[in-house]
Amino acid sequence: MTTTTPTTELTGGCQCGAVRFRAATLGRSSICHCRMCQKAFGGFFGPLVTGFGVVWTRGEPKWFRSSNQAERGFCGDCGTPLAYHTDGDDKSVELAIGAFDNPGLAAPVLQVNPRDRLDFFAELTSLPTRPYGAEPRIDTFIDGVVSYQHPDHDTAQWPEVSHG
Amino acid sequence: MAETFTGGCQCGAVRFRVDGPVRHASICNCRMCQKALGNIFGAWAEFDTPVTWTRGRPTTFRSSAKVQRGFCNQCGTPLTYQWGRNNPSLTIGAFDHPNDIVPTGEVARDNRHPTVGHADELTAEPLGTADEERDILAILKSYQHPDQDTESWTPGGAP
Repeated sequence: MTTTTPTTELTGGCQCGAVRFRAATLGRSSICHCRMCQKAFGGFFGPLVTGFGVVWTRGEPKWFRSSNQAERGFCGDCGTPLAYHTDGDDKSVELAIGAFDNPGLAAPVLQVNPRDRLDFFAELTSLPTRPYGAEPRIDTFIDGVVSYQHPDHDTAQWPEVSHG
Repeated sequence: MAETFTGGCQCGAVRFRVDGPVRHASICNCRMCQKALGNIFGAWAEFDTPVTWTRGRPTTFRSSAKVQRGFCNQCGTPLTYQWGRNNPSLTIGAFDHPNDIVPTGEVARDNRHPTVGHADELTAEPLGTADEERDILAILKSYQHPDQDTESWTPGGAP
């Protein structure tokens, strides 16, 4: 994989590239511990940043009505969770931070709904890790990955070739 | 007898069951996990026993030559990562009781999102006054599948 300078554009999209978005500006970035975000993202929390002036520049998310107050958008082709939208909000859409081409542009500043925070959350940053070179079988796998993920910038056409 | 774990997607169209013990639980900072999950890292549980799909099945996307990732095509919840024909790893947040699956390792630390090192130090926003909380709870109706198996379930909260 080639290393490129992370974009400063407020663009992003799903893993397969069928859905792409652009935001004009970003508001507050947070991680939400609520059980609905946990389950919707299959993760420990929901990482969401408020996007203003959001335009879907390729495709559209598929929406699931997760409650009577909100719906959640995802890519129907590859599943990437992309958005959370509260009914009646005509100014902003919450966007999934990891779906940004440069997720570093939306570093969370807040934890919301701490009541549902998982017990082991505070220890997550001090887990042991396996440095490159420690397990050749895994290094071989990683070095051999042929990624079908959309690149971290807009593209005129995608995929360039079919992966069959 | 081995502990049995259950879980599924947000809408409940896909449900799974898997026997423990957990072989390995970890978080992964790699860019593919970040983008696939829309998150700042992925959280995965691996088991020696194969997963049983007790309702529906995930839809898969081939994210690289050797790997398929599974998700619910009705609500989008990311569910699996499968390398070749290995047992699929499961997203920890999709389990009914994620507190029972404690991660013990971290993968791809060199690609950590800048927040990961201090996420536990971020300001925690209180839920507001008790009255406000009551107001929200009074009108909120979740359409999320309950955190347990159900005999029958209609995704989307239809009566």
